Amino acid sequence: MPLRSTETSWGALARGFHWIVAALILVQAVIGLTMVGMATTPAKVRMFALHKSIGLTVLALVLLRIAWRAFDRRPRDPDDTPRWQHVAARATHTALYLLILAIPLSGWWFNSAANAPLVWFGLVKVPGLTGGYDPAIKNVALLAHQTLFWILVALLVLHVGAALWHHFRRHDDVLRRMLTGVKRSTSGATR
Amino acid sequence: MKPATRTGLMLAATLAAATAMPAFARDWAVDAAHSTLAFTGSYQGETFDGRFRRFDASIAYDPADLAHAKFDVTVDIASLDTQNSERDQAALGTDFFDSARFPRAHFVTTAFRRAANGEVLADGTLTLRGVTRPVMLSVKFVPGGNNATLDVTARLKRLDFGIGGGQWADTSMIGNGVTVHGHLLLLASK
Repeated sequence: MPLRSTETSWGALARGFHWIVAALILVQAVIGLTMVGMATTPAKVRMFALHKSIGLTVLALVLLRIAWRAFDRRPRDPDDTPRWQHVAARATHTALYLLILAIPLSGWWFNSAANAPLVWFGLVKVPGLTGGYDPAIKNVALLAHQTLFWILVALLVLHVGAALWHHFRRHDDVLRRMLTGVKRSTSGATR
Repeated sequence: MKPATRTGLMLAATLAAATAMPAFARDWAVDAAHSTLAFTGSYQGETFDGRFRRFDASIAYDPADLAHAKFDVTVDIASLDTQNSERDQAALGTDFFDSARFPRAHFVTTAFRRAANGEVLADGTLTLRGVTRPVMLSVKFVPGGNNATLDVTARLKRLDFGIGGGQWADTSMIGNGVTVHGHLLLLASK
């Protein structure tokens, strides 16, 4: 299984980044939406700490993924893709990258302005971004964190919807090549 | 020697004796605007600083007369500020300071002594969250003209006073040790 992507499929590394980050985003959404409604207990404190640790992990993974992308190609879109779909796909992917960078950053920013602790999985102390408590920044950062999250949800509906549409309606390799890295069996064609 | 001169000398001697006599520990006024009552605790492995913005301190102190020194301090618990509004709110709640039931903490000294290394130590009792316990302060007094600065430090254990017991007793999340440091600017009172 090649690490690098080819003209027709995603490499193992790109797929690894994609699905690990996807899973972490899902976990983050569940934790984030749950923790804010919890009563003030040690369990809540642990939930917040976990949310922050996973968020920093996502940020690091996205940066690594972008760095890897500079060395890796991306598979071609299916040949019969209309131009507007190329453009829409590129725009959505770019926006997704920006959001999955901006959401953890805004969370970190909020945490810094709230003067809350930040220790990655209890192991590594992470410095603040604001130079201490700042109620005004705190409010802006929280609003950004929440708003960007809901924009992400909307774009993920598009992203997942498009992937399913490719798979079930167009019957092309767009989803399969991200799932397995293997182009649809060509046995039918060669036989 | 003329009698008048003798009288004058005696008067001078009496005055000298009077001024050399140990004065009673001096009463000081506290300049609240330049005084702080702060503490350092730890939370999730990080230290954090907090302070009580309102407290009253009555200070009688003369380094040459420790026997008559006395500190009496009352702290307005609700004036807590740890530069984190969520934390402040939680800290004043029933699990921690419970400021609704225990709005004030009170510290009063019982005795002052000088340690072998010359450091002044004050023994006293602290009443916090309804619990009274002995607490020792280290005292650093620096006179400066008519004024003086007083720096005191104490090490407490939050669980001794039931601050965050029960489900919050886990000291790996909230450290047990808390260092309290007071910095007071003292003004000569009258």
